[in-house]
Amino acid sequence: MAELNEIIHQTVRLRIMAALVSLEVGDEVDFTYLRDLLEVTDGNLGAHLRKLEESGYIIINKTFVDRKPRSFISATKEGRRVFEEHVAALETIIKGN
Amino acid sequence: MNISPTEAEESLAAIQAMARKTRQSIASSGTYITLIVTGIVWLIGFMCTQFLPGEIVGYIWGGLSLTGGVLGTILGLRLGKRFRSPSTIPMAKRVGLFWLLLVLFGIAAIAVAQPVDGKQATMLVILFILLGQMAMGLLFSFSSVWWTLPITAVALIGYFLLPGIYYLWMALLGGGGMITLGLYIRLRW
Repeated sequence: MAELNEIIHQTVRLRIMAALVSLEVGDEVDFTYLRDLLEVTDGNLGAHLRKLEESGYIIINKTFVDRKPRSFISATKEGRRVFEEHVAALETIIKGN
Repeated sequence: MNISPTEAEESLAAIQAMARKTRQSIASSGTYITLIVTGIVWLIGFMCTQFLPGEIVGYIWGGLSLTGGVLGTILGLRLGKRFRSPSTIPMAKRVGLFWLLLVLFGIAAIAVAQPVDGKQATMLVILFILLGQMAMGLLFSFSSVWWTLPITAVALIGYFLLPGIYYLWMALLGGGGMITLGLYIRLRW
């Protein structure tokens, strides 16, 4: 039976993962794009991204575009798997009602 | 970790809302740029075609198409900096080839059909452009397909029912309609 994931369950991290998992495998989004999409502050997003990166659920690809530093973020294979498990666990809880 | 069914429902709703918002954001970001740039080109071009002598209209359309193409490319590249995909480069080549072939097929179709006047030739070009846009929408996301259908209907209504003011009709309803739709997608989606 699938179990809830405590790291993913936090509201902002849940929304980050939902956004990244809805992209095609391998697709990456810019930090500012994700910040605007989630309507959170730079600091808040940065902290949650670090937590997800430490858990191996996302990859933060730091690069330069037009000589400016940019961070592109994508979900890892493991991140997609645990997110699917988390969703399955939520569905199980709802069905059990 | 235990949560109530109500909390689970709220979490699931938040996930679905975020996934929908992400997909719409990515799909609409390219669509609104295409709509606004094409709309401006149509608005100015058809307005000039309706009111200016034929000799200079060709130059105006040439300049507008070039400006629109350059502007669309620049805006598209700016957008691309916010979103990266490993499939973008091979896909871009295929899209480019598709449009090149569509232009060649359009030229061949016009050569075979031999339109009797400018309106007929314009209508054929419009139908080919909208067909291409529709194909792009179907390939990338259904949310960027629907706008081509009302614009096609507007063009056909103007061509068959209002031949005297066809170009003005296309400028205001075709071009103006695309700009309005583009702005609506940008501001409200």
